[in-house]
Amino acid sequence: MDLQLALIFLQQGIASGLVSGSVYALLALAIVIIFKTSDVPNFAQGEVFMAAGYVALYLFVFQQMPIWIVLPATLLAAFLAMALFRRVVLDQVAKSAKDLVYLVIATLGLSYVLKGLVRRTGFGDTPRSFPALVPTDSVMIGQASVTLLDLAIFGTAVAVMAAFFWMFNYTKTGRAMRAVGMNPKAAQLVGVDLRRCHMLIWGLSGVISAIAALLISPKILMTADMGSIVMLAFAAAIVGGFSSLPGAIVGGFIIGIVENMVGLFISSRAIVLAPFLAILIVLVLRPQGLFGGKLTIKKV
Amino acid sequence: MKTNGIVRGLTLAGGLLMSLAAGAQEPGITDKTIKIGIFGPLSGQNMAYGFDVVNAAKMYYDKVNKDGGIHGRKIEYVVEDDRCNANDLVAAVKKLVEQENVFMLNGGSCSAAVVAAKDYIVRNKVPYLMLNASGDGALFPPTDYIFGAFSISQYAVGGAMVEFAAKSLGAKTVAYINHDDAYGAWNLEGSKKDAEVNGVKLVVESVNPTINDVTAPFLKLRAANPDAILLVTYARPAALLIKKAAELGFNKPIILSVTGTASLNQLVGNVGKDALKNFYTQEVMIDSPGGDKLKPIYDMYKAAYPDLAAKPDHPQTYMPYGIPPAMSLVKALQDAGPNPTREKVLAALKAQDFDSGVMAGRMQFGPQQRAANRSTIFIKYDGTTMAPLPGVFTSRWTYEAK
Repeated sequence: MDLQLALIFLQQGIASGLVSGSVYALLALAIVIIFKTSDVPNFAQGEVFMAAGYVALYLFVFQQMPIWIVLPATLLAAFLAMALFRRVVLDQVAKSAKDLVYLVIATLGLSYVLKGLVRRTGFGDTPRSFPALVPTDSVMIGQASVTLLDLAIFGTAVAVMAAFFWMFNYTKTGRAMRAVGMNPKAAQLVGVDLRRCHMLIWGLSGVISAIAALLISPKILMTADMGSIVMLAFAAAIVGGFSSLPGAIVGGFIIGIVENMVGLFISSRAIVLAPFLAILIVLVLRPQGLFGGKLTIKKV
Repeated sequence: MKTNGIVRGLTLAGGLLMSLAAGAQEPGITDKTIKIGIFGPLSGQNMAYGFDVVNAAKMYYDKVNKDGGIHGRKIEYVVEDDRCNANDLVAAVKKLVEQENVFMLNGGSCSAAVVAAKDYIVRNKVPYLMLNASGDGALFPPTDYIFGAFSISQYAVGGAMVEFAAKSLGAKTVAYINHDDAYGAWNLEGSKKDAEVNGVKLVVESVNPTINDVTAPFLKLRAANPDAILLVTYARPAALLIKKAAELGFNKPIILSVTGTASLNQLVGNVGKDALKNFYTQEVMIDSPGGDKLKPIYDMYKAAYPDLAAKPDHPQTYMPYGIPPAMSLVKALQDAGPNPTREKVLAALKAQDFDSGVMAGRMQFGPQQRAANRSTIFIKYDGTTMAPLPGVFTSRWTYEAK
């Protein structure tokens, strides 16, 4: 490979990696905010992302509703579904079984239910493209070619992440959520309504997943199995440090870029291995993840 | 009187035992019926590969029954859903063989799934004719019991595409994208043979079927400055690659394998017409789907399934593919004579050679040949009009024992 080609590959790999990585980062953020406050890795996050995409597809393409109705309706549906799942299912499971593993199993159950529901509708039988809401014309950034849609995906994802950071850091609700993540009992003692806070967090994670779905669906083609992309988000969360919000975002971008670089400079066959390679390297060098803070060991 | 009664009783018991013995040897056969097991993806995201293929096979069997059956016996079929999934397919096969006691099997639309049933079928010595699965891993090395590739073998898909790119488009360097699994490996092996003969340089990128971002493989292929790109993947990665080619301004010919064309309407919806300006699809039938030469098959479908035919996108693209395997099964049963056994049917299959009137090539088996069809045609498609191009392109690959 000559130098000129290597430079083109490098620029394209970074540009494409930032676009796909921004979506992985959003999903990783959704996973991490739940994990930080509930200690539960939500294995249904990918299916929530998938189902939200299909809700939007159904309303926009099959019902031909205007987009200004479709977008809020999709976000609202994702918020309510996740908040109610927390309130109706997880609270019940937590009451009857103290072990966290049952909550994890409940999230797995949700993933199967959502996938089954989408398959029952028949819309998930054929790969479909959600119409792009911005043009897909190409523009050059340096020697990398990206579309206006790519720029919109990246810009929207960064704006959404910034909005959530602002909320977590500068609003009363956000600070309450952080307090629940640090010490739920202490947060309750100072007047935080735990049940309401958990519902809000789960609902917000649904909203983030729905935004990720709306952004990436025009690019990846929708199927009932598209939720498998969440594996990349888990990889991003692990690389970043599972309890760190900035870590989730940086991890998302790293995974996106690594995927492209491995595909361009090593082999297309190795693309699927790239996230696991990144996890392996990070776990060996820094087991708590890049932003995971000080490593602590629990006595058992 | 008493003696006669004993003799009659013994004769009756003997007859009963013989028929039971015969029944034990040949499950699924009665004086009036031959029971066969059909399976295919009737649900799930891959149902477009098999739902209407199963319907086509059923309607052909119904027609045979209406015309008097086979040597006086009617075909009775039992249908199972395999969801294109190896576990579900093996479960369906076991149910059909062990619970339904079928005489033979006719099913499968997905290669990886059918290969999973190979050991079971060979162990139980059940004659098995695939539906439209290429199933190369189950066909080669050849066994006495499994026959298929009535639509086409994966070994032949890639080879015929290379042949077309070289002969019709004058391509010398061909970019080739396959899956990074056994399905893709079979495809590439067949392609290499035709590339060698035609003096074509193949530049290969293998991708995972679940890939989301195809930027890297596409850029690497484009960097090789190919004369054409051959996509030999399933529909989803194929659509992603066609979109990416349009995004990056690639304007040389794109040739899509038959395995990537589950729904051409959906492909247009997914990639847009502009992406199909220099686009060709491979077809294994004698004409484009819905074309004049296939009109009798489509008329038969409309008569058999009026409700389905009234729905948009029905019949599905692969519907006619269900006819040749059903024809082959019926022909083998006819050739096996009025007292068919599994061994007689298998012997008839090994010598089978007929023109289905549906596929581009003849349906031919032989002592080492288990893939019926190796020929394809090509269609220029601009998102609206399908224009079949002249010529039939046949792969050179043949099985050689290692």
